[in-house]
Amino acid sequence: MFWRIFRQLLRASRGRLTVALIALSSGSAISSALLNINLDAEQKLRHEFRTLGANVVVAPPSAGSDAALADASIMDRIGIGSPQMIAAAPYLYVAANAGAQPVILAGTWFDQVAKMNSWWKVDGAWVTSRDDSSHCLVGQAAAHQFGLAPGSHIELRAGERKVSLTASGIITAGSDEDTQIFTSLEVAQNLAGLPGRVSLVQLSVSGTPSEIDAFTSRLAGALPGLDVRPVRKLAAAEGSILGRIRGLIFWTITLILILTTLGVLASMAALAMERSRDVGLMKALGGSVQRIMRLFLAEAAALGVLGGTIGFAIGVVLARWIGGRVFGVAISPRLAVFPATIILAVGVALLGALPLRLLGRVRPAEILRGE
Amino acid sequence: MTPLVQVENLEKRFDAVRALHGVSFEVEAGEWIAIMGPSGSGKTTLINILGGLDHPTSGRVVVDGMEIGELSERELTRYRSDKIGFVFQQFHLVPYLTALENVMLAQYFHSITDEKEAAEALRRVGLEDRLEHLPAQLSGGEQQRVAIARALINHPKLILADEPTGNLDEENEATILKLLHELHSAGHTILVVTHSQAIGNLADRRVELEHGRLARITLPVR
Repeated sequence: MFWRIFRQLLRASRGRLTVALIALSSGSAISSALLNINLDAEQKLRHEFRTLGANVVVAPPSAGSDAALADASIMDRIGIGSPQMIAAAPYLYVAANAGAQPVILAGTWFDQVAKMNSWWKVDGAWVTSRDDSSHCLVGQAAAHQFGLAPGSHIELRAGERKVSLTASGIITAGSDEDTQIFTSLEVAQNLAGLPGRVSLVQLSVSGTPSEIDAFTSRLAGALPGLDVRPVRKLAAAEGSILGRIRGLIFWTITLILILTTLGVLASMAALAMERSRDVGLMKALGGSVQRIMRLFLAEAAALGVLGGTIGFAIGVVLARWIGGRVFGVAISPRLAVFPATIILAVGVALLGALPLRLLGRVRPAEILRGE
Repeated sequence: MTPLVQVENLEKRFDAVRALHGVSFEVEAGEWIAIMGPSGSGKTTLINILGGLDHPTSGRVVVDGMEIGELSERELTRYRSDKIGFVFQQFHLVPYLTALENVMLAQYFHSITDEKEAAEALRRVGLEDRLEHLPAQLSGGEQQRVAIARALINHPKLILADEPTGNLDEENEATILKLLHELHSAGHTILVVTHSQAIGNLADRRVELEHGRLARITLPVR
């Protein structure tokens, strides 16, 4: 009989319940989308952060002097194949001259630099081949200094050695790189007469701060005599941004759930008014408050489960769409979000059904008298 | 033999208004009592107290050995489902439940539901072809017959009917009175609140109230 009355209650109040269901589904959809984004965003953002430059540097103890150069063979020991490693770029910095003016030449692996610094603005084209010995990238300040544009030629000297290169692109990084000229590692080594030597290696490593620290410690153990250090400023900035995003998502979900509860409350308050006569009658017939309330709470819980399920499905679509717009990649739905959404929706529905609890105080004699 | 209903010096106040004052009478099991009096005389208040819907302010009301004024809310709920069958002037059926479900609702609050027994109760009041009809699809007389079937389904000690024919035409009134008469003949104890002298004359005794006081107890004129 419980389910028979329950079914008839749902049918009789479908108008009000539909309004409550819409509120619950909407709130659940946004909460579910944000929960999905929250779980996936950290991974997506860390991936994005890894295009913002190196977060680990490997260098001799006093990098900069000739005596402190490392052997390029360290690249074989760094573990480029590690799944945590996004990119690894060796650098040899050479003090060169373009005409009479000094300039810093940075010999590197172009393909790795491109992976690590995809946010650099390039006028012209990237040099795509790691060993391209005829092209270079020129920082925008250096290009301005030497009057270079994409396609321009430049001759660089270091002592008696010289090399002639074509500027493939002018890069804008917003930092020291803007004053440098980037060539292949081999060109820089030949010009400096330092074959097989590097000044430092920049690494882009994925993972949480603790995972990066663990990676750094392992690498330091594998490279005795070299400094392996994380770029703390970047790690701290990443942590701070992720923390803020998590906070933003948490408070947005809280706000949405409060608004949803208010929406459900409004519908349920109207429903409570409509049902006061029926409850008075049920009590007159010997229905206990607990037995009558069980019906209404079951109704609210069913509404929560249904609203949560609909909301989760909409939330998955919403998360994929937001993921595409914000990260350029669809957010993968997490199964763990489903029970979380249902629990939240049922909780909100039960909270919103508080006005129905007031029906427990209905005095049947007053209701039956028509007061 | 102990009377089924004992009312002693009953008083009921609603704030400053004294709805009942010093009312005393008894009802034997199997009696049909008509409670009569003008509007505002306290008839409905009396029947609500007897039905456990209201508490007396003072005095004693004992039904089947249970003193109403001493029962807790939980005990009153149990009392209503076990001992009382209500029939209201406004019928008071749950609008979204069918005739059958309205009867089963009383079973549900009492103990367990028995669909066959509920259908049989409706058949006894002549509604065997209206089981799945909603109240809105039934005439006033049919709705009142559903209410009577509901009142009887848990075999109550006392049937309380508040103006049961007040909203019915003559034909339906006759049907309901015939049903009440049959119930009385079958040994049920019935208290009917009524304005109608005709209905009052069908009862075994008439308890007449005026301004909340017991004016007289009379025998019907037949």
